[in-house]
Amino acid sequence: MPEVGEDLKRYLRSEMMPTVWCPGCGHGNIARSIATALDRLEMDLGQVAILGGIGCSGRTPFYFNTNAMHTTHGRVLAFATGLKLANPRLTIIVAMGDGDALAIGAGHFVHAARRNIDLTVILYNNNIYGMTGGQQAPTTPFSFRSTTSPFGSIEPAFDAVDLALAAGATYVARTTTFDFAEMPEFISEAIRHPGFAMVEILSQCPTYFGRLNKLGDAPDMLEYERDHTIAAEGSTTQAVEITRQDLLGTLPVGVFRREIRPEYVHQYAALSRARGGNYGE
Amino acid sequence: MRLVQGNEAVVWGALAGGCNFYAGYPITPATEIMEYMARLLPGRGGVFIQMEDELAALAAVIGAAWGGMRGMTATSGPGFSLMQEHIGYAAMSQTPCVVVDSQRVGPSTGQPTMPAQGDVMQARWGAHGDRPALVMTASSVKDVYDTTRLGFEWAYAYRVPVIILLDAVLSHMRENIELPAVAPSPEISQPTGGMSPPFGPYPFVPFSAATRTIVSGLAHDESGATRGSGIGAASERILQGALRQIEKDASRIARCRTDRLEDAEWAIVSYGITARAARSAIDLLRRDGVRVGLLELHTLWPFPEHIVREVARKVRGMLMPELNLGQLVLPLRSAVEGICPVSALGRADGELFTPEAIAAAMTEEIQQIEVGGRVSHHA
Amino acid sequence: MNSAWHGDPLRVRLSGRGGQGIILSGVVVAEAAMLDGKFVVHTQSYGPEARLGASKSEVVISRREIAFPEVVLADVLLCLSSDAYQKYGGRVAPGALSVIDDLVAEAGRTTGEVVLPLRRTARELGNELSANMVGLGALIAIAGIVDPEHGRQAIRQWVKPEFRDVNLKAFERGMELGVARAVAP
Repeated sequence: MPEVGEDLKRYLRSEMMPTVWCPGCGHGNIARSIATALDRLEMDLGQVAILGGIGCSGRTPFYFNTNAMHTTHGRVLAFATGLKLANPRLTIIVAMGDGDALAIGAGHFVHAARRNIDLTVILYNNNIYGMTGGQQAPTTPFSFRSTTSPFGSIEPAFDAVDLALAAGATYVARTTTFDFAEMPEFISEAIRHPGFAMVEILSQCPTYFGRLNKLGDAPDMLEYERDHTIAAEGSTTQAVEITRQDLLGTLPVGVFRREIRPEYVHQYAALSRARGGNYGE
Repeated sequence: MRLVQGNEAVVWGALAGGCNFYAGYPITPATEIMEYMARLLPGRGGVFIQMEDELAALAAVIGAAWGGMRGMTATSGPGFSLMQEHIGYAAMSQTPCVVVDSQRVGPSTGQPTMPAQGDVMQARWGAHGDRPALVMTASSVKDVYDTTRLGFEWAYAYRVPVIILLDAVLSHMRENIELPAVAPSPEISQPTGGMSPPFGPYPFVPFSAATRTIVSGLAHDESGATRGSGIGAASERILQGALRQIEKDASRIARCRTDRLEDAEWAIVSYGITARAARSAIDLLRRDGVRVGLLELHTLWPFPEHIVREVARKVRGMLMPELNLGQLVLPLRSAVEGICPVSALGRADGELFTPEAIAAAMTEEIQQIEVGGRVSHHA
Repeated sequence: MNSAWHGDPLRVRLSGRGGQGIILSGVVVAEAAMLDGKFVVHTQSYGPEARLGASKSEVVISRREIAFPEVVLADVLLCLSSDAYQKYGGRVAPGALSVIDDLVAEAGRTTGEVVLPLRRTARELGNELSANMVGLGALIAIAGIVDPEHGRQAIRQWVKPEFRDVNLKAFERGMELGVARAVAP
């Protein structure tokens, strides 16, 4: 993780540093942006839980000075759903990787979004499986290389924003680790949002994705992110077409949905009250 | 006195044990458990949620435990196979929870509506790695109630996932039983301080403003730290600690029921629904003058070695009928090795053993032993 | 008291086609026997079998705690359909009583088989789905397996309010059929 100022140190567990993330990895920047967002929102750390799945992003919970769960591969949203229902006052931030959320955990991802349960997902998308050493992810763009697509991927890549929108997430945004200002801004907004919120953050993996695809080191990859994204608020239909045809393509970034729809825990509390129960009181 | 179905008894037993969270996924023959929970929990201030699959169901239960609710799920074979990942996680993270598995014939989809006892080994060893296990079974609707209630007590006492094995017949069977009055959810006092380490031989403390617990399926020490030298040893120490505590309390945990063993020369060792046929088989054999008794095991894991050995010393031979092709007979044989011979009687076709079939197998074993041999039966 | 249907334990099998309310009729017998002060165990076939083809529901009734919960050979059999008759008609104990619907063509050739117009009577009452209760009424009248008043109470307890009256009426008609049959050899 990059150096953090004194103001953010109280959010982090100094005893857990340094992180497992490789030099040049974008994940530390995302974690720092989460800390910045918590600071801006003046969150009480006792009321925050940070959860993660398995993979590089899944280590996020270890670095925060909150209650935390490092769960199983792909299934963190099911743990988070139980935790949130049992303790609705908790603010729950869920760190997921692209393989975590869109391959092994895709089923959990769409159903958490469908329920519109008040969780904030930060989707660290580095287009590859980093922890296991550079295998193809559902987000690896067509023709890009990984250790399991050594001749270039022959599959179309998944678009997380598209999926989240289709599944019913009520706050959906995308940005990149290049954008230091936008990351904490979107994360703060997502945390405040009363419903299922997803912020996808394109993150660089110079160790595997960069090396296997000759994209250079971290600064080169950040420039790549800058050059291959466009600010696009609103519909992503057109842009998604571009993605699929155009390799890593020109991905739209921005906020794609802000919508208020009945939230699951509130719905459940209303059901409980209607049945004479005192859930959530 | 009320006519109660096995699956309904799970629900009342769970509520009596303080259960206030249920997450599940529909599957025959366990579905009624979640249907009852869906009707009852909202009005009692508890939580019911239908998840997208069985992996998610147990994950939600584990999440809820750390959120301060007492949770369970219920399933059958295929779902139980899926749950193994999170049974392992619950064991590793010392998260109390209860999993009911109403066994049906497998493998795979098998015979969804027909009874089996084929998950006995999976309940013990299904998750990868070594872990403490506490697995109970039941043979009557009243037992189902008591066992489920006790399951919650032990899940919290030992911080393990407690597994309760039923079967398709017991789940759908109705018997008239005396159900204790439906009490409102008992106030379960849960420690709230962050004073003792979060893992190891300490009480389970859910997340609170005072805690900063990191729960992980990675090997960790008592503080939850996952890095540094000695983490492997620490993890083994924690898991073995739970295992040893369970073994130390074996006399309390190892529940069983005996029937006419006092003067027995022969013993049928059985469990679950099969034990009821065995009890009738003993009537038949006693009518023919055979001095045979029944040892019915309620706790399957840890396997109650001390109990079966004590019985083995008094009899000339044992028979274990079970609705699988030879599972619990393996630890039984190993426990009584050199003390008395054990015959196995197995079937996995979806039918129960009749009392006559068990009596015939016992008679055959007696004849074999009396002419000096050992024998193994398979129906 | 030489009939199988006066023994203890008493093994009752109710059978028919999926959708004929076979499981419910088993529950009613079990509830009534419980009200008689007996131990009861009710088991059922379930799942796909409950909707397609033959379905069964079994009750063991005893003054003592019941060990084996299932019925191998029934002491009392109710049979509402041909496929159920083919499957279970022969699986009865010596001296058993079987009450069989008269639309089951093959029935009535064996001693102990009482053939009655159960489904036709239910149809006359305007609800063929109450044939199970006509059958129960007849069984109880002929074999006395439970106190009829407890049978009525059990119907009130387990049948949904909107079907309660027609089921009680069906039960009474079944009792009448059974009483007529019991006195006329």
